[in-house]
Amino acid sequence: MTAFTVNGQEVRFEGEPRTHLADFLREDMGLTATHLGCEHGVCGACTLVKDGRPVRSCITYAAACEGAEIRTLEDFRDDPLMARIRAAFKEHHGLQCGFCTPGMLATAYDIATRLPDADEARIREELSGNLCRCTGYMGIVAAIRAVLAEGPHARPETPARAPQIGRASFGRPASPAPAAAAPGPAPGSTRGLPRPLTGATVLAREIALPLPAAEVWAVLGDIRKVAACLPGAAVERVEDGIADGSFTTRIGPMKAAFRGTAHVSYDTEAMTGRVAGQGGDAGSRSSAQGEIGFALAGDGPEACRLSCEIGYRLTGPLAQLGRPAIVAGIVDRMLEDFTANIAAAARGDAPAVAAPPGIAGLILAALRNILPGKRDGGEAS
Amino acid sequence: MKAARFDLHLAADAAEAVRHLQGDDAKPVAGSQSLGPMLNLRLARPGLLVDVTRCAELRAVTEEAEDVLYGAALTHAEFEDGALPDATPGWLAPIARRIAYRAVRNRGTIGGSIAHADPAADWVATMTGLGASVRILGPEGARELPMAEFVTGALSTALGPDEIVTAIRLPRRGPEARWSYWKFCRKVGEFAKASACVLADPARDEYRVLAAAIERAPVALPDPRALIEGRADPREAVEAALPFLSPERRALQATATSRALAALETGVPA
Repeated sequence: MTAFTVNGQEVRFEGEPRTHLADFLREDMGLTATHLGCEHGVCGACTLVKDGRPVRSCITYAAACEGAEIRTLEDFRDDPLMARIRAAFKEHHGLQCGFCTPGMLATAYDIATRLPDADEARIREELSGNLCRCTGYMGIVAAIRAVLAEGPHARPETPARAPQIGRASFGRPASPAPAAAAPGPAPGSTRGLPRPLTGATVLAREIALPLPAAEVWAVLGDIRKVAACLPGAAVERVEDGIADGSFTTRIGPMKAAFRGTAHVSYDTEAMTGRVAGQGGDAGSRSSAQGEIGFALAGDGPEACRLSCEIGYRLTGPLAQLGRPAIVAGIVDRMLEDFTANIAAAARGDAPAVAAPPGIAGLILAALRNILPGKRDGGEAS
Repeated sequence: MKAARFDLHLAADAAEAVRHLQGDDAKPVAGSQSLGPMLNLRLARPGLLVDVTRCAELRAVTEEAEDVLYGAALTHAEFEDGALPDATPGWLAPIARRIAYRAVRNRGTIGGSIAHADPAADWVATMTGLGASVRILGPEGARELPMAEFVTGALSTALGPDEIVTAIRLPRRGPEARWSYWKFCRKVGEFAKASACVLADPARDEYRVLAAAIERAPVALPDPRALIEGRADPREAVEAALPFLSPERRALQATATSRALAALETGVPA
């Protein structure tokens, strides 16, 4: 058994010693930002950060990582310098097919923090261990130059294993103490309190309901009833305004079942409310954070309008498909079902739409809407 | 590519590593930057790997009056970054910086490089050129061999199957000593096609002109003082000393030697 940390999380590896680190990260942890190219230490695509330094994960064996601190690109999502490097790669056309990009970014980060004065020749020298099959080096070098020009950038922490200088102390075990994992939320006290939602995509929607506001609020004001109106959603327990539950959805060939916790608050007087939650899908190793603010207003005695603002942030592999246009399409379809169901619930009927959203067709529709070459009203040729 | 099955033992100290190397199917491993590719390509299929990177004595630097002992598991990057005391007047960092790529240097070790004994490896060439010796630990105890005796050929050394390299002993060099190292690489970071190093240390009366990356153990050219002082033609010396090289490689080698000698004269680091 080998214990080390990946992106601040303690992990235990018990597989075959021949399993290289990249395979462990991709296959067992679902961390697919690390790409595998040559798998024999030549191309640099699998470069990631071990103990604060870029290394090649295809010739680093997971079983040899005892006590190590591994950071994959997933862990740099909110790192301001990496965000700047990503933006520079975009501005300078520093990627085409994207295969070498994770390794290029890891190396670029190392250059930006270790070599603030690097000129173009030095950048090229430092990049020589990362191969780009598209040969797009001009853009990559330009991106790194642009980032360096804004420097100096702070160096990351010193590596965990400093050499021992002085007399060798023979026989003393040198295994470093395993790095402490980032503390998780303490159970109980902070349960359900969402992390601040940064970088969210926000959708604002308004739906008209042909029912008196009071009847609709009777449903909206009960999170269990709301969930019953939302195909795919299930609430398992509600306690002190904190709901545990799940949400199942299918996106094309992908199926995701997010399990998580939401913090629910209402202002019955004003007929407004807020649901903020976060959850993860074990299958796709993706996670979602979301926040829904809603307000109900009467529109005459027999109708009302529900306005809501939905903010969400997807991370992990699902985020790659979760382009805003696609998610907006999914949300609109869900709101349609929700509208029908909430009207039924307010009338005391069974939900009109019970099946989780069949999203495959919706995705295709959304893709057709966003892909170039779409012809209005025409047949696909 | 995935390696064939092997077991891995993380040794806590050098003696434990040696104990686990009994049997002919075991191999020591440090940074796995040379062995790893060979494992993944299944060119090497050891049944057991003994990881020595956690051995305290292999991570130590021991400063003595005449020499500095560098633990075998110190990485190229640690030399490159100047994190270690230098037995020479600043020659080690530039050597380390030109080894492969930063991601490789962050894991590859000096002892592993020397034990692997790739003829084109920078430490094989330069530690031989600098007159280093290799400290070895085996079941019978410790012994030491000069680099020139340690490397016996391409990828072959005097190391027994149950022995490990624990340290490299490097003689200190004073400010009057001069050194240069020149290598031909078709691409930055690639293994050299030809390399040469020159040492002139009048205080220790030590002079060396070494031809390396010649697909066998490095060869010291005869009469180094004559070469260093310009009294002998490096091309002729290479022709005479390295008849086994192809004409192309010999031409590269002659040029590398001339350039290393020229760099020593001007004092520009090669």
